[in-house]
Amino acid sequence: MSPLAELQQAFCDALLSPEVPAESLLNELVDDGLALQRFNVYRNNFIVLNGDALADMYPVIKRLIGEEAFRALASAYVRLHPPQERALLLYGAQFPPFLESIPELSGLPYLSAVARIEYAWTESYHAEDSAVLSEQQVSTVPTEALGSCQLLPHPTLHLIHSDYPVHAIWQANQADDCNQVISLDQGESHVVILRPDIDVEVREVSRGAFHFLKRLQLGESIDRAYEAASQQDNSFDPGSFLTEHLFDGTFYKIKPSA
Amino acid sequence: MDEAITSLHSAPARVPSRAGAGLKAVHYQTIIDEQPDIGWFEIHPENYMGQGGAPLRYLERIRSDYPISMHSVGTSLGSHQPLDTNHLNELKRLVDRFQPGLVSEHLSWSHGYEWYTNDLIPLLYTEESLKLVVTHIQQVQETLQRKILIENPSSYLQFKQSEIPEQAFLVEAIKRSGAGLLLDVNNVFVSCKNHGWDIETYLAPITQEMVGEIHLAGHAIQSLGDQELLIDDHGSPVCTAVWELYRHCIDRLGDIPTLIERDSNIPSFDELQQEVQFAEQYLNSYREMSHVTTG
Repeated sequence: MSPLAELQQAFCDALLSPEVPAESLLNELVDDGLALQRFNVYRNNFIVLNGDALADMYPVIKRLIGEEAFRALASAYVRLHPPQERALLLYGAQFPPFLESIPELSGLPYLSAVARIEYAWTESYHAEDSAVLSEQQVSTVPTEALGSCQLLPHPTLHLIHSDYPVHAIWQANQADDCNQVISLDQGESHVVILRPDIDVEVREVSRGAFHFLKRLQLGESIDRAYEAASQQDNSFDPGSFLTEHLFDGTFYKIKPSA
Repeated sequence: MDEAITSLHSAPARVPSRAGAGLKAVHYQTIIDEQPDIGWFEIHPENYMGQGGAPLRYLERIRSDYPISMHSVGTSLGSHQPLDTNHLNELKRLVDRFQPGLVSEHLSWSHGYEWYTNDLIPLLYTEESLKLVVTHIQQVQETLQRKILIENPSSYLQFKQSEIPEQAFLVEAIKRSGAGLLLDVNNVFVSCKNHGWDIETYLAPITQEMVGEIHLAGHAIQSLGDQELLIDDHGSPVCTAVWELYRHCIDRLGDIPTLIERDSNIPSFDELQQEVQFAEQYLNSYREMSHVTTG
């Protein structure tokens, strides 16, 4: 290995470790008595800059657990999952399961699902622009053939379910000054995240609508998706759901089933 | 759709010899609404490497009103590993679409292993590194089909194995690769203070024809025992000493497009614009002075 390659790898090892860098690396640095402190500026920058990217991605998590706890978790996360890409836009994909793995957070069982909403928000924000379903597209399909068609949800659409009221928690923490108390007894939450145009929308939907969209996302026909959704939620009424949402950006394409 | 957008800008809009500002997401709407009199804006292309959505939409809008410059942070020119061709292709896609007047990258590395530091780590200044950096600069220039500028880094440590002074390394890399220099005046100040280098010696080999752009930014001061280390955090206004050094550089090198960089503690747009105007005033007075002397 070339001296440059060796040095760069040793430097990276030391950035990632919370321990004092190996003597062999410190010996490579010009020593004015402050070589270790000088190295520590880089290690600190590495942790803080990437931690800042996580803080930008997960502002609600930061509010829920507080700045100090967030920073400690972010440092641990950066060391466990250093960035795999040069652009930090989508850094932090493993943060929701990481939160679940922390024993000290087991008293906040909703945290990971809230983090999934935040990650999905960012994925949707940066996703490729896609048109929304138009009345003209639907008008080309004969009414009697509608049920057998695939009705594809918008490509930016994400579905997140939790046993806890995570939509209410996410919503209440959008403003810095909110101190609303949310009872976990409110129960489960079905969340849809999507970006029909430029703004990301986060909506709570019924259990039936959630499963309807989930099946449609898998490419199932409207009829089959309705069947599956009504098994989950017998009050689900696809007619009124579609009247409200067919052209609001929830969908982008309709086509005969393959 | 991409094709239609590309055709909006068939050629790069030249970055004028004026002062510009780093483009920040919190300022998008103000810039679009108020159309401030600012010479140009600079972006980090890595912030626009998403597939779609608001950042690209705003950039498209702002690019139709102002020239822009792209200042990359992710190429890792000094990395012992090969350049990431996916990242290079993404960069090319953005350069082709937005036709920036200038494209630049740092003399540093951020990719030493399987992962990325996302921070700019200094190089070992040896002949081995020099050859590598020159090859990498040439590869970027060939991919983008244009000349790029290389920025002098700020740094907090030096490697014992380094054999070439930073400024000599930088100038040689530029000469061999055919690139230009992005002279970051704050980085000159920070690195010279941090390593006890003489500023005049650092600037001596730098000539007017090399320099395509100047950067100005604020730095923080960190105490280490009885010593001070300057940290290039872009988190405060440009300090008096750096403004003085800037005037000195302009007097020597000419009226070079000058950017005010701000990447943390982002101020209001008005406040940022005041700093931009301060730089612009100096560029104007330099032009008047040189007109008097040469005319």
